[in-house]
Amino acid sequence: MNLMLNILLNVTIAFLLGSLLFGLQRKVMARIQMRPGPPIIQHLLHTLKFYIKESTFPKTAAMPFYIAIASILCVIWVSAVIVGPVAQGSLLLIFAIYALHKIVEHNAGSSSGSPYGKLSCVRAVFSAAAEVPLFAVLIIIYLKTGTMVLSDITAYQAQNGALLFTIPLAALMFFVLILSKAPYSPFAITKGKDIISGYETEHFGLLRGYLMISESIAWYMLLWIFLTVFLGPLSLLGYLVGMVIISVIVAFINATTPMLNPNHSIMVQVTLVFIGIVGSIILLML
Amino acid sequence: MDLTTIGGQLLGTIPLGDIVLYLTPFNLFMFAGALAFTTLIAISRTETQVEAEFGTLKDKEVKVDLQEFKIRRFLAIVCGLATAGAMITGDLFNFTLFVTLIGIVNIGIVSAVRQVDVLNAAFQYGLIAMMASLPLFGGAAIILASTGTLSLLELVKIPYVTSMMTFGSLLLLMGIIGETGVAPFYATKAEMFRTPGSPFILIIHLSSLLVIVRAIEVLLIINKPF
Repeated sequence: MNLMLNILLNVTIAFLLGSLLFGLQRKVMARIQMRPGPPIIQHLLHTLKFYIKESTFPKTAAMPFYIAIASILCVIWVSAVIVGPVAQGSLLLIFAIYALHKIVEHNAGSSSGSPYGKLSCVRAVFSAAAEVPLFAVLIIIYLKTGTMVLSDITAYQAQNGALLFTIPLAALMFFVLILSKAPYSPFAITKGKDIISGYETEHFGLLRGYLMISESIAWYMLLWIFLTVFLGPLSLLGYLVGMVIISVIVAFINATTPMLNPNHSIMVQVTLVFIGIVGSIILLML
Repeated sequence: MDLTTIGGQLLGTIPLGDIVLYLTPFNLFMFAGALAFTTLIAISRTETQVEAEFGTLKDKEVKVDLQEFKIRRFLAIVCGLATAGAMITGDLFNFTLFVTLIGIVNIGIVSAVRQVDVLNAAFQYGLIAMMASLPLFGGAAIILASTGTLSLLELVKIPYVTSMMTFGSLLLLMGIIGETGVAPFYATKAEMFRTPGSPFILIIHLSSLLVIVRAIEVLLIINKPF
């Protein structure tokens, strides 16, 4: 297939499926809480709506930084799709992309001048201290498989079985990272309702649309990475079923768990990182 | 061990005498990312923080004044260029030099702010960064002494790992953690992030995270688990 067409197709799938999975999450959460909930396509409609809304910019914002940062977030996650599903490239490169995502999340908040954005920005700095080590679990995959290249990791699993069963603690750590990026998650401190919408509070119209597209693609990509590196070569149906199952599990957790205090959130994540890394290394040595 | 198992396909090398830069998608992406953010910082103005005043219904605007803006922007650009250099270099000693430069300019970016709490945080970060330079350079020196080279392209070809190489790597890691001020030293940095000047604060965070990601590659090259 033509490379550009392949990229376009994968990005479109990532956006549409990511949005629908977010919609599914809200639906499941609503049913658990005895509400009818919004339709599953609500998140998608919500995203598209922002493209026909008027774009306004706060006069206190750091221009053009404030505008560029929302667009960069979109570019970053499109790059992740290219490195991941399209090119089957290096996992370390996706790690670098995730690091850039944390930086953008942090500065989207601080660039508007809003105190809510600023609080979200400070929380993003703290959460990076926990989320980046959670992503660093991928080093354990390298220790197990001897490669960071996604296609080689898939080939390794085709020969030796899914990594989920040989390094389960590493999979658990990555699942906690996925949980941290879900809306209404106990670890979603950067978008806590006590700070309105966190770093998105002062982004309207087109810029909010960019942020929402990025979130959908980011959700798809995190699920895709989890399924690829821990469950091995999967068919399209396998990916779809896997993503739906993980999204439903996350929705159950979110619906039944309150959002943690920022300090508790970080401490829980750091504790899990410690257990995951030490436990995985012990498992590898056995 | 093959370099391509970490950063992806080797796209080419740029020999500059003894120092050989190597280009993989991983290095190129981070290099381009650092340069793109540096350009953005160079052309952006700072935000105005709006805070509630105690005792009245008025708002207080906190701005970055022109003199402070100029020096912080200059230091942020230097930091961005040093980060880009650290992402692309193929020489361990150059990497440590870039990391040290990042530490120095990061302190400068925050110490230009005239707020007691921020200056206090900058001072503490400065102490840690200063102390971290010893294990940073010491680690690189031990690796040179035990392998005879600082070129990452040569280091990757060495088929064995000695305990001195592992010891040097540990020192190197300690130095990088201290210079970039990541956990467990991030607490003082979070204090710095409360000040206005979003574009400049970005580069502090960017440099720390990117250097840590690159450090993973460097440490894997030296220690070669495979």
